[in-house]
Amino acid sequence: MCLAMYGHESEVYVGSSHLPQGASTLSPKDKVIFTAFEKRVKGYSKLREDLEGKMPKLSKEAKPEEIETHKKQFQERVRAARSTAKHGDLFTPEAAVLIRTIIKDEFKGRERVELRDTVLRESDTKAVPLRVNYPYPESQELLEMPPTLLLRLPQLPKQLRYRFVGRSMLLVDRENGLIVDYMTNALP
Amino acid sequence: MKRRAASLLLTILLTVITINGQTPSTRTNGNSRETSTVSVSLPNKQGNVRFLVIGDTGTGSDQQHELAKIMLRYRQAFPFEFVLMMGDNMYGSEKATDYKRKFEDVYRPLLDQKVKFYAALGNHDESNQRFYEFFNMEGQEYYRFKKGNVSFYALNSNYMDKKQIDWLKDKLATDTASWKIAFFHHPPYSSGGKHGSDTKLREVVEPLFLQHGVNVVLAGHEHFYERIKPQKGIHYFISGSGGKLRKGDIKKGSPLTAKAYDKDMSFMLAEISDEQMHFQVISRTGETVDAGVVVHQRKKNGNNRVASTSQ
Repeated sequence: MCLAMYGHESEVYVGSSHLPQGASTLSPKDKVIFTAFEKRVKGYSKLREDLEGKMPKLSKEAKPEEIETHKKQFQERVRAARSTAKHGDLFTPEAAVLIRTIIKDEFKGRERVELRDTVLRESDTKAVPLRVNYPYPESQELLEMPPTLLLRLPQLPKQLRYRFVGRSMLLVDRENGLIVDYMTNALP
Repeated sequence: MKRRAASLLLTILLTVITINGQTPSTRTNGNSRETSTVSVSLPNKQGNVRFLVIGDTGTGSDQQHELAKIMLRYRQAFPFEFVLMMGDNMYGSEKATDYKRKFEDVYRPLLDQKVKFYAALGNHDESNQRFYEFFNMEGQEYYRFKKGNVSFYALNSNYMDKKQIDWLKDKLATDTASWKIAFFHHPPYSSGGKHGSDTKLREVVEPLFLQHGVNVVLAGHEHFYERIKPQKGIHYFISGSGGKLRKGDIKKGSPLTAKAYDKDMSFMLAEISDEQMHFQVISRTGETVDAGVVVHQRKKNGNNRVASTSQ
């Protein structure tokens, strides 16, 4: 059980993430790759925080019109600020290789088959375009991320989410809905 | 013997409540059979925590409207204070007009009666729903609120990351409420043919529920109703047919099933007193498809477990 290892100080921790018992620990080289990935993610996070900070704050009891307007304006600001963003800016080839390895290690045998079934066949994500700095279509499903995998991947700031779409994995901003970056062939 | 029979008759009379003084009758309206009588098999006592559970609602379909009418009718007899939403509150687009069409128009009479809705997020819901005035999420994807002796934990099972797990652990550890109820979208146990049990989620949350005495878990995602046989002392319910139905999806003969219903859409009424949680599940046709009591055993054995469900 993943939770059983929370207090184990002898485990190797990557950033703020925890590795479940039995999983192979990261090499010093891999730790450097993860730390660099987290740094790039934080860079995006700071940019969007700064932009959102200049916008009127959304109330906790907002009207639907206010929610829609806020999302749209936030999207426009971030898109303009990241107009040169491109695929692989955050998921560099090195980071993508490492993340693929973790996913492959987490899902084996029957679990892997089930994951592929869920992501590739059952989900309603076929119309999601893999385009950096474009919105994740709001009519498309946001597929559940397996919690045990989230505990192993580099931890993200609260505004960012990993999402599976087909065999790819995306980084999506939960508030403005923009695809921040994606990596292909994430699914084993 | 005569006294027992009289008592039984009185109980039946007390729980069958006729609306507007009408005698029990049925009439046909479109695809659904509406009954002018509602039958409440709950104690219906002032001071108890009375609520309704519904999931996977957000279609704006005629069927969702029909079910909402039954909910309203039951509220006249059983004045539930609030509604727990199991997620998938909005299918498809989430424009301002969708909030209106898929939620406000459907439940307007309940909103007008000041019934509060507390939402969890499903896989079809954007995070921004947490700011919506009528979902009472306080701007959070996961949150806790208390009613009487009950703590309700709304979780975001769509993204159960370390931050949320730590939050849940912290909140549960200091929670002194008699009843702890968690509700979220993906069911840890399910006999659904399309989805089934979410074992990865279960692996992470169940140890916390067990450690901290969560009594009841409510979920949706599966478009049917299922009451799971108690698992390690925890009672699991699925109420995910508030707007969509996956007819015939429940695996027949599933060892998990205590009671299941996938013939029509449904919602669940619940009432919690000090030691009991009564529940009643009602279909779009107004038929009661399940009812029973979850008994809190804390006072008997010293822990915070529920041990039995009776019907």
